[in-house]
Amino acid sequence: MEKAIVELKGVSKVYDDGFVALKDIDLKLNQGEFYTLLGPSGSGKTTILRAIAGFTDVSSGEVLFDGKRINSIPANKRQLNTVFQDYALFPNMNVFENVAFGLVVSKTPKDEIKQRVADALKLVQLEKYANREITELSGGQQQRIAIARAVVNQPKVLLLDEPLSALDAKLRKDMQYELRDLQQRLGITFLFVTHDQEEALAMSDEIFVMNDGEILQKGTPVDIYDEPINHFVANFIGESNIIPGKMIEDYKVEFLGHQFESADAGMRPNEPVEVVIRPEDLVITSPENGKLQVKVSDQLFRGDYYEILAYDSDGNEWLIHSTNATEDDKIVGLSFGPHDMHVMRYHESEENFNERLDSYED
Amino acid sequence: MNKGTKAIFMTPYILWLGLFVIAPVGLIFYYSFFNVQGQFTLDNYRNFFASGTYLAMTANSVLYAFLITLIALLISYPMAYYISKLKHRDLWILLVILPTWINLLLKAYAFIGLLSRDGLVNNLSQFFGLGVHHMLFTNASFILVAAYIQIPFMILPIYNSLVDINGSFIRASHDLGATTYQTFTKIILPLTKPGIQSGVQIVFIPSLSLFMLSRLIGGNKIITLGTAVEEHFLTTMNWGMGSTIGVVLIISMVIVMLLTNTKKKKRGQLNAK
Amino acid sequence: MQSKASKFGKFYLIFIFLLLYIPIAYLIIYSFSKGTTMANFHGFTLKHYQDLFADKRMLAIFLNTILIALLSSLISTIIGTIGAFAVHNARKRHTKQTLLSLNSILLVSPDVIIGASFLIFFTSLSVPLGFWSVLLSHIAFEIPIVLLMVLPRLNEMSPSLINAALDLGATPSQILSQIIIPYIQPGIIAGFFMAITYSLDDFAVTFFVTGNGFTTLSVEIYSRARQGIDLEINALSGIMFIFSLILVLVYYFIESHNVSKGRKKNRLEAVE
Repeated sequence: MEKAIVELKGVSKVYDDGFVALKDIDLKLNQGEFYTLLGPSGSGKTTILRAIAGFTDVSSGEVLFDGKRINSIPANKRQLNTVFQDYALFPNMNVFENVAFGLVVSKTPKDEIKQRVADALKLVQLEKYANREITELSGGQQQRIAIARAVVNQPKVLLLDEPLSALDAKLRKDMQYELRDLQQRLGITFLFVTHDQEEALAMSDEIFVMNDGEILQKGTPVDIYDEPINHFVANFIGESNIIPGKMIEDYKVEFLGHQFESADAGMRPNEPVEVVIRPEDLVITSPENGKLQVKVSDQLFRGDYYEILAYDSDGNEWLIHSTNATEDDKIVGLSFGPHDMHVMRYHESEENFNERLDSYED
Repeated sequence: MNKGTKAIFMTPYILWLGLFVIAPVGLIFYYSFFNVQGQFTLDNYRNFFASGTYLAMTANSVLYAFLITLIALLISYPMAYYISKLKHRDLWILLVILPTWINLLLKAYAFIGLLSRDGLVNNLSQFFGLGVHHMLFTNASFILVAAYIQIPFMILPIYNSLVDINGSFIRASHDLGATTYQTFTKIILPLTKPGIQSGVQIVFIPSLSLFMLSRLIGGNKIITLGTAVEEHFLTTMNWGMGSTIGVVLIISMVIVMLLTNTKKKKRGQLNAK
Repeated sequence: MQSKASKFGKFYLIFIFLLLYIPIAYLIIYSFSKGTTMANFHGFTLKHYQDLFADKRMLAIFLNTILIALLSSLISTIIGTIGAFAVHNARKRHTKQTLLSLNSILLVSPDVIIGASFLIFFTSLSVPLGFWSVLLSHIAFEIPIVLLMVLPRLNEMSPSLINAALDLGATPSQILSQIIIPYIQPGIIAGFFMAITYSLDDFAVTFFVTGNGFTTLSVEIYSRARQGIDLEINALSGIMFIFSLILVLVYYFIESHNVSKGRKKNRLEAVE
């Protein structure tokens, strides 16, 4: 197995007032990968970042960098750098001075500082802005300067704390490409914190989904989207229809009074489960051809698809993405295949989940 | 920075707190229990509350401070209101601040000239056929001069609270059909209440204890609590009695602060609504 | 809120502004009068200014006053800034509140009380009354205003600025000198100038703790004014008016220099 560049072992963080920010976190980051910590606000993702950067002490557990324990090493001696949510550019310094700051405090020779600042600015395509004041830059430019300042020290790991959250939608999309590209050019490890699932899915090699101070699931974007471990992850990542049901036996699931062929296995017979069907996996057909019949209630045009809201006879809500419009109040059929369904057990640990999946997939 | 260097770094400030804030207040309380001979006694307080002179003096001081504050407020509120509507209001408010940069003594001294028998005020009064009046060393002139000096300190907090009012509140009020007068009484006045309160606080407390002005403009006739403290400390050298009056001043100051500090009350009101 | 002031409003403004400035103008005009009282202008002369500059004692007092103002402001700015750090860094809310309340005691206390309590304090410590007692008193009552000017700057400084500096490898002393001090500098300058005005304006406290040998301008004006009109004081007020104006201009020059940087930022934010 590859040697981890950053590793957390059993890390917990409890604040003075008793609030538990992190519960027994284990996490490994390898060299040169793009990782994302994804979760709602208050889930502990920023606390993990701060623990790695050294802005906060952990209550228990070990923080390792390059295999060495760094719990008691102060932030200014740790060889990783951070891009802050509010950029934290020093308002009393211009662009050059900001980017040069890390080199100046480490007493790097002047010529080298000039060269490296120029390189860093070139990396973020702002080489002509060296003499600008921070207040003269747009939000997107400030963002790039913050990145240039963080990479000028040539860290092995770059920590990014929701760096795109202050940008408008279009700029945010552009920056997603740029960040991904930058990470590949630099070949260093990125640990990116966000609450935006689209951002996480678009950029990451691997995503850690967090909630309430715990890592719920770790995996590639595709794995996490297609095979969420539980209700929370399914709901948080993308849109989904989640229906309670029963796993009759391997490859056979029952919900809404019907039995369906399934692609999942490894559960107890008749175990209560939840079934996830993504809205884009539902196909609208005539009522007789559908596996289920629903009544259309509302539809919204979203540009590249129609978002259709419908109800079945039990009153459950169904979300469907369709390229074609339908009619309000019309009864339609829904069709879906075994691989469009994903079955989730209640309270399954990530370890068991992965083992079970390995046992019947490949 | 570790704890040791932090402690050394903070020392000057902590020393200041101890030596120049806590110790002097403590000493005033301590001295108020000693008579001229240096014996422990409650006589000072007994004297204060038994003698008609001191009680009358307290009543006078409060009355004067109240009048000074009221006059300053009545003049300052419209002033602040109109300045807040001016185009170059920053410049105009600077002109209000400017006189406060001129030594208080000089302003008081100017009034000795202005109010004197053949000073400007009497010249004007003569011109309008109102005759010459003896104005210096009267209670009225003392109160007016004190109010004059305090006006800028009353204008500033009120002005600030006026400027802070979101313009869309006013537009919303008009939009909902309120007249200018209704908008003023129902929106602007309540929103500037904090400004009025801090203005009253800033003006009332020093007015309680003015001694320089009462000596220069009021003559030696008006004896307010401030002049009494000065007299006991610097003339009769009865520090015990002086401290006792000081303690009374401190207590009345605390009462004024409690009455005008309404942060908590405000929250209560909001909840009640 | 901004709409047009009414006619009455304009008239009122002019009237009150006249009232505010007449006493000051009156003082200065009579400093050029040939007479000996502030009544009936007797023709233009610079005699009172010549008297003033020839008055060695007055000159010494003037210099004393400036010396006290500058020294006390300098020291109180340093201690007040440290105090702002103490309040800002206080972990518990309760500690913060207590520190702030203690800080404001000297700001809200009547001058007479401050003067009397300092007099007791110096006497009980056997500090001789004179230059040092006046200097210490001025430092003492200037500290809280400096603290109040610096604290808001510290509070509005994003903690991530310090984290960013730490992250880039700066030591605590580098962070203090290169990040924090430049950031709170406008507050420090404002505090320094406020301290100077407090010092120059103070009469009551100085009057209590000054003793016999040492005098500042305020105390000198008071004792002369009690004896009646003396046009040399008018000349002095002319000088002090100019001095105040220069101080205001210097302050606003520094201030607007800082503000113009801020404005640019606002403009950019508005554009986006």
